Amino acid sequence: MKVNNMEKFVLPKEKLSEWINKIISTYQVFAPVKEEELIFFKQIKNPSEIDLEFVNSAVPPKVLLFQQTETLFKFTNGKNIQITPTTSHNEKTLIFGIRPCDAKSFSILDHVFKGDYKDPYYLTKRKNMLLVGISCNQPAVNCFCTSFDDSPTSSKHVDVLLTDIGDKYYVEVQNEKGKQLVESTKKLFTPATEKDSNKKKDVEKKAFDTITRHMNIKNVDTLVKKLDIIFDAPYWKNIAMKCLGCGACTYLCPTCHCFDIQDETTLTKGARIRIWDSCMRPEYTLHASGHNPRPGRMNRVRNRIYHKYNYYPKNHQVIACVGCGRCIDNCPVNIDIIDVITKTAEVKP
Amino acid sequence: MVNEKQLKTEAKKLVARDDVKYVIGYEKGTYGFQVTPCFAFTPEDTERFIFSPLCVHNLAVYFMLEEKPPLRKGEKEDTRKIGVVVKGCDARAVVQILQEKGLKRENIVIIGVPCTGIIDPKKINAKFPHQVKTVDVKEEGNNFVFNINGKTHNIPKEELLFEKCKQCEYPTPVISDILLGEPIKGSKKEEYKEIKTLEKKALQEKWKFWSKEFERCIRCYACRNACPLCYCKECIVDQLSPQWIQRSVNLSENTVWNIIRAYHLAGRCSGCGECERACPMNIPLTKLNKKIEKDIKELFEYIAGLNPEEKPLLAMFKPNDTEETIL
Amino acid sequence: MKDNPYQPWLATIDTVCEEVGGKRAIKTFKLVFQDKKIKDDFTFLPGQCVMVSLFGKGECFFAISSSPTQKGFIEVSVMKLGKVTSALHECEPGDIVGVRGPYGNHFDVQGWKGKNLIFIGGGIGQAPIRSLIKYVVDNRKNYGKFDILYGARTSKDICYTKEFVELKTCENTNTCLSIDVKEDGWGEFVGFVPDNLMRVKPSPKNAIAVTCGPPIMIKFVIQNLLKLGFTEDQIFTTIEMRMKCGIGKCGRCNIGNLYVCKDGPVFSYQQLKNIKGEQ
Repeated sequence: MKVNNMEKFVLPKEKLSEWINKIISTYQVFAPVKEEELIFFKQIKNPSEIDLEFVNSAVPPKVLLFQQTETLFKFTNGKNIQITPTTSHNEKTLIFGIRPCDAKSFSILDHVFKGDYKDPYYLTKRKNMLLVGISCNQPAVNCFCTSFDDSPTSSKHVDVLLTDIGDKYYVEVQNEKGKQLVESTKKLFTPATEKDSNKKKDVEKKAFDTITRHMNIKNVDTLVKKLDIIFDAPYWKNIAMKCLGCGACTYLCPTCHCFDIQDETTLTKGARIRIWDSCMRPEYTLHASGHNPRPGRMNRVRNRIYHKYNYYPKNHQVIACVGCGRCIDNCPVNIDIIDVITKTAEVKP
Repeated sequence: MVNEKQLKTEAKKLVARDDVKYVIGYEKGTYGFQVTPCFAFTPEDTERFIFSPLCVHNLAVYFMLEEKPPLRKGEKEDTRKIGVVVKGCDARAVVQILQEKGLKRENIVIIGVPCTGIIDPKKINAKFPHQVKTVDVKEEGNNFVFNINGKTHNIPKEELLFEKCKQCEYPTPVISDILLGEPIKGSKKEEYKEIKTLEKKALQEKWKFWSKEFERCIRCYACRNACPLCYCKECIVDQLSPQWIQRSVNLSENTVWNIIRAYHLAGRCSGCGECERACPMNIPLTKLNKKIEKDIKELFEYIAGLNPEEKPLLAMFKPNDTEETIL
Repeated sequence: MKDNPYQPWLATIDTVCEEVGGKRAIKTFKLVFQDKKIKDDFTFLPGQCVMVSLFGKGECFFAISSSPTQKGFIEVSVMKLGKVTSALHECEPGDIVGVRGPYGNHFDVQGWKGKNLIFIGGGIGQAPIRSLIKYVVDNRKNYGKFDILYGARTSKDICYTKEFVELKTCENTNTCLSIDVKEDGWGEFVGFVPDNLMRVKPSPKNAIAVTCGPPIMIKFVIQNLLKLGFTEDQIFTTIEMRMKCGIGKCGRCNIGNLYVCKDGPVFSYQQLKNIKGEQ
């Protein structure tokens, strides 16, 4: 059975464990695992650990590429300093069960970590990573990926996409990497029929209809231009007054990438580490002289919103938001980005 | 529950005063059971004020978040008061801050709301997930009544209330300038049932329990920012010279962070539970705070946040304290 | 381009020169790369910066204050202010630091050929200008009239005093120092740098003005330059920001959609006026 790109298959649900077992033998597999009523992407050794009854994970899978704590290199202290680079992570990894929005976030983060200075920590992992996505049959209340012309059943940013169409999974192969994965386990798959394809279309339509909260933006350019004009409006102060500066939104956002670099040492040796940081904290931009370009919550809240909806599109032609809704779900004071951006249409400069 | 019309009237009167800058209350949220803080600068803004069993936030946190930008030449400092709507637990946080001289009594105006219990968002969202349209709730006897998608639901309060509300001893704000309604008496005393069960476990078991919880901590510090009593100008975790807690996220440093925060709240925590509500990783933070609260009650017969004239527990000593010296 | 942009090269501190003593001390460090190939090949243009590592303490983003025409080493002038700079001030010749760079954009020394140059510096802000000055002096024929204004709070806070004496012998060059408050024995201008600028009154014709220093000084210098007839695209400055990665990834040094470490630190006044962001 030859595998062509964009060829469609089906995988009976009872064969899923068999397929996962085969994958585990070749890859380090990360899949959704339940812990304390929350879902995390953890490394699994057995398909029974996977829990597919979920909308999305608590911490976005960006944590697998852009680790929360990453050792950049080690060094010895004292008079004769030596640097020991960290060994690169060349293991083949696979994320099973990633949602289309989170997969899109990887494509968005790529812009940051590529560029003139290639980040070896992120890019090595990205190169060795395969994405097997799962469509969203039941988006949640704060999902709004469709506001960015995206679909809860899109295979655009994954290598293989599974969609639950009842007693089987509809399998779409997106690219060469996905093709090789399916090829190596081809016994388990059978070609999809038109009936199967129609069932997938039904799932897609149902998912679309479930998403009723929309961020009303005509297109990227219109939004960028509007935000340019209303930069100094008092609108931002009113939103920021509620903000606690807690930083939960930044840590749970799949496209947030701010980080801090620190040296951690003992007397004789140490390591330089990179850790996630949050632009919502006042110390984030605090100069040693005491000057702070973003001294108030208004400055920081506005900067975060502009970074995602104005600065990033200006630099990389894409909005740095995938519509996963985690920030809305977790904000303790109900600062709702769908509401915030939709209402910018009415804000006067 | 409180008469919303009365709340709006009082808030409107308050905001209209010359010596009041703004009043913080609650307003309808953007979806489902959400409620959000409302900053009313004008009498018209107070029209949006609500009060319902969904008003979970502790608005006292905004006092210490107040930002004072540097004054321009000739500009005088704005010494107008800030008004706030508080429930029982919120008021205790305000009292605690007053005890510590973090705030001056004359700078705040407190609208007290005698509270009949607040719905735990986790419980209501588990029962009715994915609610897009905003939902109102009413109290009828021992039930909460919801109208969701045209259907009426009657749910016993016991099923939806916060655990802290079921054992609340101070539902009526202990401090207020305006009290909306008759004072409500507290229910049975706090028995620390859960804490006692945990205390009885073997050391290894306790360590295993907490390690599992702290492993999940992502050090977002939402707990710290949501807490009205965490208002250090430079938090211990941000200090670099010397650095007390490393920024690496691992079990060791996460444990240090959570335990240090619990200790910094010893004798100060008002039990509002905002830390646990804000935590995105469902870490049972209030268990830590309750344990210390229980110990302090037993050792010093002290309850935080009751009397603004009282000295903070750890800033004073009594001759009959258990230790022989103040060290 | 290095494989790992976060990993610095090792460099030894060759000499330490104390420019200014006291509480806000300024020292100039001469750094020599340990690896011979890097030492010979390292190249940059005035305005660019490096990230200097104090292993165990952290990194700081400094403007290179030596000129690319001086081969085999780079110099950074550092004011003692925080954790890393204090540790650097404790260092002695022979100590090892890490260096990575050069980062950022640079002054358009090619495009400014044939123009008259006016450099206005204040305090430690003179560091990137010093690189420019040395570059221009080493390529003197390529540039027109050269006005250098530099001021500090007191005579003890003036940096690079020896070099200013040497500049007096440079062709078609006018150096004007100033201090804020009157002092015995001080022969030059007394007053703020923007006022000194109005006294010197350089012509905007075929000229480029570069100003670096404390934000308040820059504000008034730019005001006065505009009064003198300079256009917005004739005025350049360098912006300072808290930095961690230096390569446009950690997200903190942005002004609007521009990163100071990548799209700066050199900006024209025209650019700064039009960005929607905080400085």
